[in-house]
Amino acid sequence: MPIISPFESSIAKAGEGKVVLSLLPPAIPSLSTLTYKYPLKLLTRTPGFVPQSALTSASTPVHLYLLTYGGGLLPGDQIDVSITLEPQTRLVVTTPQGSTKIFKTETSPGRTLSDKSRQVLDVRIGKEAALCYLPDPSAPFKNSRYEQIQTFTVDSTAKDSTRSSLCVLDWVTQGRVSRGENWDFHVWKGKNEIWMADEPTASSTTPNEDSTQKPKRKLLLRDALILNDEVAIKTNEPEPQDPAHPSKSLIRERTSPHGVIGTLILYGPVFESLSSFFVDRFTSLPRIGARNWSSSAPAASESTPHYDSKVTFTAARVRAGCVLVKFGAEDFETAKDWLGAVLREEGSIAREFGEEALLCL
Amino acid sequence: MTAESSIPDLEKEISDLESRLQNARSRLAHASSQISETTPPLPTASSHALLLLSDSALPLGSFAYSSGLESYIAHNKPLPRTITPVASFHRFLQLSLASMGSLSLPYVLAGYRDPADLETLDNDLDASTPCPVAQRASIAQGRALIGVWERAFRGAYAASSNSAHRSRDHAAVRRGARAVEEFSDALKGCIDDEFGPKGHFAPLWGVVCLAMGMDARQTAYVFMLNHAKAVLSAAVRASVMGPYQAQNILASRVLQDMIAERIDLDWHTPVEDAGQVVPPLDLWVGRHELLYSRIFNS
Repeated sequence: MPIISPFESSIAKAGEGKVVLSLLPPAIPSLSTLTYKYPLKLLTRTPGFVPQSALTSASTPVHLYLLTYGGGLLPGDQIDVSITLEPQTRLVVTTPQGSTKIFKTETSPGRTLSDKSRQVLDVRIGKEAALCYLPDPSAPFKNSRYEQIQTFTVDSTAKDSTRSSLCVLDWVTQGRVSRGENWDFHVWKGKNEIWMADEPTASSTTPNEDSTQKPKRKLLLRDALILNDEVAIKTNEPEPQDPAHPSKSLIRERTSPHGVIGTLILYGPVFESLSSFFVDRFTSLPRIGARNWSSSAPAASESTPHYDSKVTFTAARVRAGCVLVKFGAEDFETAKDWLGAVLREEGSIAREFGEEALLCL
Repeated sequence: MTAESSIPDLEKEISDLESRLQNARSRLAHASSQISETTPPLPTASSHALLLLSDSALPLGSFAYSSGLESYIAHNKPLPRTITPVASFHRFLQLSLASMGSLSLPYVLAGYRDPADLETLDNDLDASTPCPVAQRASIAQGRALIGVWERAFRGAYAASSNSAHRSRDHAAVRRGARAVEEFSDALKGCIDDEFGPKGHFAPLWGVVCLAMGMDARQTAYVFMLNHAKAVLSAAVRASVMGPYQAQNILASRVLQDMIAERIDLDWHTPVEDAGQVVPPLDLWVGRHELLYSRIFNS
């Protein structure tokens, strides 16, 4: 009889990963669990950065690198990561491999919808803990299918400055521009949810499908984006390609004029100043269609080049002080430069988590 | 030998038969005019509700919202020479209906199918609304719908003994009416609770339609058609097109097919999978606040 290794994790399924970050006294962050399975790879590092934070609870942030073999997802690949941040811990999640490539799903007769790539991220954030998740965008290749579900559970019992904090960026590009791809994939679905639960970190020890039905949970925010060419829904046959009239992409029509679409979600005391910064920046944007009625000087504001003029964005305070920033830009570089510039100008992410948190921007 | 009967005899017999036929016909006409069987039936109770709910005079205040059209026009100004304002509007209408179908229609149908879940649906839709502009529009119309129900429709439709509901599932209709009442009480009882009931339009529409005895397809169709009407009415007032042109689009087969297609696509979509299919629409609606001059509230 083979000896069962005591080190072998209970995780058997490919692509599953589990991280539990806890804080040992007095304030030493420690990963009490770190498991992963092919094609997923998780690396961590504690750079010893001391946050220059106004909040007394600030602890040293731990970095988690989310990697996949080959830097992308093949059809049928499923990534399922669950992360628990115990109270007062801080975690920075980045993707050092560049954009998450979504490879194409082959058009074969036996193709089903389950052939798509899928990524599930479930993060539970305890009191005074903070997550900073600023990844590279996802780049769906031509004919790919992808679905991503990111769930963040925060502690509903915490009030004001003891609340959980999170900063999540989710963005998607038109594909490989150098190869002429322009929203040519089949499906890209992304869903980000913030739930409030009484004790998010405690219940994670018994992962249970039924727990989603518990009445104690309340949906705080849902941001769902569905980019679907709707070809598979109408007909099961592959679209006949007419070289004279290349089929008009429904997704391109719906995302026009943007080449990249993204959402930044900010919640909690750690990101409060950044939230206000974004909202102020949005409300102080020049009015659209404003005219200069004064008879003298011509409008000087029009000539000043500004990052904000290249990116179409909105920032709104929605529920429980949660700020939702949505943006669209012509291409990935423009969006990246804009976001990087705004986050560096405000500076609180660098102060709280270190410059490395902005690795992808 | 009948063949050899005399001609006068035959003629007499024919005239006799003809007079009897005429007599019978006149009696039939008289009898049927009394019980009016030959006139086509009048609209049923559910079509009556349908006509009420699709009326543009229904006081929901929908005319105050352009659902992003005004902002869309401002963002796409000036239009390239090859694109006419009407063509640009057609694109917007198509995008707007697609977005309405994927984002709000699942909540309409969920409200219709499960009225007891109204408060959860209201919370989840509030959580899914990305900006205050859209939230304001949805809540204002939802609360107006509750007002219309309470002040106008309740008397005729909530009374359980109403014979108008014979044709529909009686229990379901009553569940719908009860859900609206309970929700309305919760809304009044809640002051300043950030997570309390808000009164979003889509799920309430489903429940009110249920309470008025409409069927699910009608509910979805009127919801989408009313949205198209509101956008077209906004287009007329924003000087995109004239009123005849707007009616022309409203009457067109293209619009009917578009609505039917959206309803079929999202007929089974659970609310958890509802989402935005037109991401720039969120940007246009959100940036409505930045317009220098505005004639609409959204």
